Amino acid sequence: MIEVVDLTKRFGGKTAVDHLSFQVKPGVVTGFLGPNGSGKSTTMRCMLELDRPDTGTARFDGKRFRELDQPLHKVGALLDAGYVHPGRSGRNHLRWLAASNGIHRKRADEVLELVGLASEAGSRMRSYSLGMRQRLGLASVLLGDPQTIILDEPANGLDPEGIRWIRDMLSWLAGQGRTVLVSSHQLSEMALIASDLVVIGQGHLIEQSTVTDFVARYADVWVKVKSPAAGPLQQLVVAAGGTVVAPDPMSLEIRGLTTTQVGELAGTNQIVLHELSPQTGSLEDAYLKATAGSVVYHSGGSTTTGPEAHS
Amino acid sequence: MINTVKSEWIKLRTVTMNWVLTIIAIVFPSAIALMTAFFKGDDAVPIDAHQLLQVILATSYIPVLLMMVVAAASITSEFGFGTIRPTFTATPHRARVVAAKACVVVLFSIAVLVVVMLITVLGGAAVATARGAHIDFGEVPTATSAIVGLVVLSGLMAMVGLGVGMLARSTPATIAILIIWPLMAEGLVGGLIGLVFSNFNVIAWMPFRVGFLLNALEVDGGPSRLTAGLYFGAVAVAICAVGTWFVQRRDA
Repeated sequence: MIEVVDLTKRFGGKTAVDHLSFQVKPGVVTGFLGPNGSGKSTTMRCMLELDRPDTGTARFDGKRFRELDQPLHKVGALLDAGYVHPGRSGRNHLRWLAASNGIHRKRADEVLELVGLASEAGSRMRSYSLGMRQRLGLASVLLGDPQTIILDEPANGLDPEGIRWIRDMLSWLAGQGRTVLVSSHQLSEMALIASDLVVIGQGHLIEQSTVTDFVARYADVWVKVKSPAAGPLQQLVVAAGGTVVAPDPMSLEIRGLTTTQVGELAGTNQIVLHELSPQTGSLEDAYLKATAGSVVYHSGGSTTTGPEAHS
Repeated sequence: MINTVKSEWIKLRTVTMNWVLTIIAIVFPSAIALMTAFFKGDDAVPIDAHQLLQVILATSYIPVLLMMVVAAASITSEFGFGTIRPTFTATPHRARVVAAKACVVVLFSIAVLVVVMLITVLGGAAVATARGAHIDFGEVPTATSAIVGLVVLSGLMAMVGLGVGMLARSTPATIAILIIWPLMAEGLVGGLIGLVFSNFNVIAWMPFRVGFLLNALEVDGGPSRLTAGLYFGAVAVAICAVGTWFVQRRDA
């Protein structure tokens, strides 16, 4: 269990994290989401006491990070896979980490094998690709077999096989009852692996909930209908107070009415339906809507945020 | 603490540049000393122990300075490559990390200088003797204390390098400070202060100036070798203490 309470971090006059509080439960993967500059990485650094927070604390199973004896056995963290000395081999990188926490040097080779880097263990890290460095970073997280795992963008630079591997790995780790907090911009991946979410924007907590509740709260919901009598049905729906988009002559996307209401409307008026199904926007849609007011860095030109732009 | 020292030792010995600098630190003064012992003097006026020691102690500033660079890089490279974050994630007690680094770089520096002294003193004496010279270091009363002083100086200089590295956090900046400080800054600062306190020889008490008395064969006036060691040792410890305080206070 991770408990973050009233965490605030200021850099000069800029408040990066603003009285942030949330909890991360064991046994599930918790996604940590937020736009660029929202304070995710700063929060993680403050949790690990790499940055000194102005207020607040983070506790891991009741203890602050500095109170942990041999913390690699308790908390495995990967903040940036680039934090390596390029002239050192991957094996030696893991060996100095292992030595610092009294972990046997053989464990370095075990985790290298686990992440698929055994053949490159002796190579200097300047020759490692970003994906290889990510795998090495994950190996360092697993060194002490920790109960709590914190990862900042772990899928960056990984190929599809690697992304699938990390998804399976995180699910497996959470399934063992560990506490797993993962930040990522790959929302489709997050939708597949995360059960809970912590969403922040401009340093504030926007939402903490399950993925299901988050999507239900923020994502667009509509009814998809296919019918040979789409035209007459459209008139009936509008008359009943719904709004309709017709992507093609036989299809309708109806908002404002439930699936039951649309079905009863069609049945009452003896309109044949080929499809009647509830539709829900993706996690990405929900995320964009939830964080629309918290985006710090906008791209140039037209910006599309919110579900309206995608439906 | 033992685990942290082990970890820091692995870090030090797994970076090629440290070994390159160590090899230069050993080979350069050794080559100079052995060549001096071989070529200097002739049958009529052979090299003596005092001359050989002067060359050995003068050229041994090179390994002392190189080991100071290794010590400084042990912390600045961590900030430069970002490995300070996994370091502090693995060992949140930052003072423990600094203490372990200090142990490793000071002992490593001392070990290298002991090797350099063994090669240059024993090797130089053997070569010169083989050429017919009479080398008896007992004829130089300050020989042992100067050699021991040099080894001590190397350890203290490593501490200074580590301390400045913690404050500057950048390898080029640290090396620049460590070059400018003894070569220019001490003379300028000492001169300026001397203008105010004209009856007091301030320059003679500048830290590096005092530190370099540790391996002097002749100490004419000024602080004694023991005083110099204690004074420069206190400066080295103070720099490390301030550096540690900054490392603990600043974000990693």
